[in-house]
Amino acid sequence: MKDERIERITNQIVEQFKRSGYEVDAKEISKRLRLLIHEFKVPESEAVKTIKNWLAKELDIPREKLLAEAPLVKIADITKPGQWVSLKAKVVQLWDSTSPSVSQVGLIGDETGIIKFVIWAKSGKREVEEGKSYLFRNVVTDSFQGRMQVNVTRTSDIVEIDEDIQLPPREIEVVGALVAIQQNSGLIQRCSICRRAMAKGVCPVHGKVEGYDDLRVKGVLDDGENVYEIILNEENVKALTGMDLEKAKKIAAERLDRGAVLSELKARLLGRYLKVGGTRGGRYLIVNRVEFLKGVDRKDVEKLMEEVAV
Amino acid sequence: MNFRKREVARRIFSYEFNRSTYRIQPEEDKAPVYVLTPLGMRCNRVFVVGALLDKEEVKPDSGVWRIRVADPTGAFRGYVGRFQTDALDSLMEIEPPELVAIVAKVRVIERDGRLFPALRPESISVVDSETRDYWIYETSKRTLERIRRMEEKADEDCKLAWQIYNPNLNEFRQVVKQALATLLEEFELVGEKEEEFEEKEEFEELEEELEFEEEEWDLTDILGE
Ligand SMILES: [Zn+2]
Repeated sequence: MKDERIERITNQIVEQFKRSGYEVDAKEISKRLRLLIHEFKVPESEAVKTIKNWLAKELDIPREKLLAEAPLVKIADITKPGQWVSLKAKVVQLWDSTSPSVSQVGLIGDETGIIKFVIWAKSGKREVEEGKSYLFRNVVTDSFQGRMQVNVTRTSDIVEIDEDIQLPPREIEVVGALVAIQQNSGLIQRCSICRRAMAKGVCPVHGKVEGYDDLRVKGVLDDGENVYEIILNEENVKALTGMDLEKAKKIAAERLDRGAVLSELKARLLGRYLKVGGTRGGRYLIVNRVEFLKGVDRKDVEKLMEEVAV
Repeated sequence: MNFRKREVARRIFSYEFNRSTYRIQPEEDKAPVYVLTPLGMRCNRVFVVGALLDKEEVKPDSGVWRIRVADPTGAFRGYVGRFQTDALDSLMEIEPPELVAIVAKVRVIERDGRLFPALRPESISVVDSETRDYWIYETSKRTLERIRRMEEKADEDCKLAWQIYNPNLNEFRQVVKQALATLLEEFELVGEKEEEFEEKEEFEELEEELEFEEEEWDLTDILGE
């Protein structure tokens, strides 16, 4: 049991040095670990640190290089498990850890995304605080129930940084009127090479190439205070109007006019109030979900009436 | 290419709109022209939902149509000509009375030293009563916000509005009250019909004042692109 643990820690150290391009002697490391942990009762994390420092000195590796070896990445770049990375991120949320083997669990984020993190109890790492930003050095990516996460292990480092890491804009909800629908909406053709929308069978990049049909609405949502450019894809259009790509093609074929689809969509969507949930990026609102607003709530009207009466 | 930020479509009742005659001249060429309302809002574009009461060609075969659109506080008037292709196309398909949503540019017409605000629609579409109800709610809310800002003299436009219009804020509160009452009535289904009647009459009188004959007008200003 005890030796198993020594072996695992040894392997982690060997692996870490290997990633930096150094071959180290596993036997020697195990021997020193055993001495420090079993004989001298040094805490594991201290033992590991001591051995890494000794190795760095032996191999003449600058300490910075050893510590910063895992590449600095953005959260959006994390797509595969088993990758050693470093992240600059802010602690967004701490969850209740139900397992004694987990010291802390929650969400961290940077401007590209938000990811779950786990600090294992045996890593012996410091605790983090909500709202603070840290450099998470040498954390390993993992996949849990189909979602990516990062694990803080014994070989990781957490350093608080004097930098306020920005988070991706949260999803917002906008109720507004669809005040304009652009001409390049409706039944459109896309380039079969790059998927760009084509105008009259011509791709802006690839010229005259074969295209395929798609259904979309590019429009302007206006709440009386702000305007948002939105794109409704086939799924959104179908959710609102019941018209999918097949139906759109049928309309175009029946009336011998692709423009008939746009007329139909304008008639059904222009001047209507939509409730859109999405992520705001500049003047764009990336639509996650959309529905027609269903009338007005009596309570809201009564509340407003009280305000006038005052 | 024009990269100017798109103008927001403001929510305004016809009562406030029809009293908005002050034009804010653009500081630079091609900058949008704004109309200042009595409640201190600059607007260049509006979004209106109401009942299209009538459409009439200003002169036979002129291709210019006059429309009237009513909300609970009065009626907007507007002109649609051949430059407003989308709006004209839909207008030709609509038989009043019908509930419509209109996105329009705001224009002020001058005649005999008097100024009349009007809509120049960009799009007209037939909508349902739920859309109308939400519009009344939303417009009430925005109007109350403006009344509050006027009380606080919140910015330069509010101060200018005081100077130019010296509005009676209570009058505007009454208008909002009346609009909200139409919504509450709908919830109740049994309304206080008599009271509503009286108030309606009052507003018709106010509308009367603003009536005018547009047949003799030069409409190029309002309808040009
Ligand atoms: Zn292409």
